[in-house]
Amino acid sequence: MKVDRNYRCKVVKPDDFDEFWDGVLRDVNAIDLDSTMEKDDLRSNDEVDVYQVYYNSLDHVRISAWYSVPKGATGNLPAMIQLPGYQSDPPIAREWAAKGYACISVNPRGKVRSRTQFDPGYPGLLTYGIVDKNSYSYRGFYVDAWRAVDFLLGRPEVDGANIGAVGGSQGGGLAITISAMRKEVKAVSISAPYLCGYMDAIELTHAYPFHEINDYLHTYPERREDIENTVAYFDGISFADKIECAVILNVGLQDNVVPPETGYAVFDVIASSNKKLYKYDGHGHDAGKYVHGAIIDKFFEAELKGGK
Amino acid sequence: MTVIKPAEFDSFWDDVDNDLASISIAPEVEYVQLRSTDDADLYGVRITSIGPYRLFAYLSIPRGEGPFPAIYYVPKNGSVHEVIPQGTAIGIRSRYVTFSIAGRGMRGSDKPYTAMYPGQLTDGLESADTYVYRGIIADAIRGLEYLMTRPEVDSTRIVTWGNDIAVMVAARRSEITHVVSTPAYLFDTVEHALKTSSYPLAEYSDYLRLYPDRKNEVISILSMYNLRWHAQAVRAETLLRADHSNGIYSPEVLAGLENGIAGDVTVHESERSSFKDGLFAEKWITEKFFGPDVKAIVPEHWRSTL
Repeated sequence: MKVDRNYRCKVVKPDDFDEFWDGVLRDVNAIDLDSTMEKDDLRSNDEVDVYQVYYNSLDHVRISAWYSVPKGATGNLPAMIQLPGYQSDPPIAREWAAKGYACISVNPRGKVRSRTQFDPGYPGLLTYGIVDKNSYSYRGFYVDAWRAVDFLLGRPEVDGANIGAVGGSQGGGLAITISAMRKEVKAVSISAPYLCGYMDAIELTHAYPFHEINDYLHTYPERREDIENTVAYFDGISFADKIECAVILNVGLQDNVVPPETGYAVFDVIASSNKKLYKYDGHGHDAGKYVHGAIIDKFFEAELKGGK
Repeated sequence: MTVIKPAEFDSFWDDVDNDLASISIAPEVEYVQLRSTDDADLYGVRITSIGPYRLFAYLSIPRGEGPFPAIYYVPKNGSVHEVIPQGTAIGIRSRYVTFSIAGRGMRGSDKPYTAMYPGQLTDGLESADTYVYRGIIADAIRGLEYLMTRPEVDSTRIVTWGNDIAVMVAARRSEITHVVSTPAYLFDTVEHALKTSSYPLAEYSDYLRLYPDRKNEVISILSMYNLRWHAQAVRAETLLRADHSNGIYSPEVLAGLENGIAGDVTVHESERSSFKDGLFAEKWITEKFFGPDVKAIVPEHWRSTL
């Protein structure tokens, strides 16, 4: 299958996009973060201290996260927000702490340790409440990730002027939304971004998790218009023109999970002039991870550590 | 580090078989309209494993005349239980019966035990009998026992697909004709866990950092689960998906497993590309089941390379 570099997705950003998300943010900002942090001796090692973190998010859902910091760090640390994939369990990102960052790895609602109040399951999350923007699963899920910024800003060891975000697949989609909505994010690395060009993706590839939407439409074909209306508010392409920070984005041209066409499409809409695209032929959903990992490291060193 | 096959290895696993034999499978099967397609019907299946413990599984059956070859996706080390693995072409459900079971602790089989990830790999590590993998491997075997009751399954073509447990099931049950396995944590576990800070193996090194005095005991417990000793019973044709040469489970390391397996073994060294590695595995099983002239069913973005 030849990948069209100039592919354009059919999503149209809703006129009231900002109004919708402003309302969501008003709702969540009225809820105290009320974060807690407890050292996890089992997961801490000689280089890194690991903490189990909890905080409040939209609808008063309690969100968990892993927080890793270099052992003995006292202040002025650049920080990283690690965003999780769709079906994988959120990692303990000790490797970022070992590189000198304070790193929070978020478990948005429905993920392991954040499942008590909301749990649509896998498969299930992608279509839960999808007939309306106010009931759609990702309304809260996105905000859960964005609130990680508030947690970091409250930490004395964190330099709030140097916050980055990183993620692949769903984590890449979340990285798009967090860098669009939280201007404190200074640099973002987006890999094989999911949740972009939803209605194109379900035609370009027929594999889970995007196929969850095809399953749904197969059973409820009359709901297509409602779904199209909803996902336009959650599509990374609708967020991308708000991204002004430094961006790197990588795609695999044989990606079997997230069509690379949608990665191209979202990259082209990103507003930042400091953006760079990496494409990896011969790679699937890994999006050239083995080679690209070093590029990500250098990118954040330059953007968050001043090249030190 | 010297690893020794436990003297009580055979009796330990015979006891697991006996425990399974004493408990009825007790299947309940329910049609899942939402995940059925024009080419395949999907069912949610509940069965009982040792404990007793009630498990959930997805069973997909192609429409049309069977029997069909079967792909058995065994439990993995992760909370999410999928119909078929992420990124797999949905079209394979038109060619194969697929059966995917959630081992205890995974979503769908997480009552009363909800596993944490990380966390699951060291649950019950106080003894070989209490280690959570005794139950999980029994769950995987029980899943096969249920699958073999299905008339839609071609009993001459059944592959276990997954990580270490794919080898374990083939070792315990001769009905498995093929294995596709990516060993990740149950081959000479402690020796390799001590070399890495990456999960899943790091769960064991985390544990031993906190409880260093238990190291010899943990090695002894995990030897009961070591693929090295289970391999000797595997007669199935096997594809071992190895890490790249400088990874933990490189071809060189897995030679100790490869040489122990009685059936024919192909080792594929990772090309550090999920596309290339995935395509190799899809082509391998297609050729084994259908011969060299039948194309693998692969996702859209892989097709030009067939």
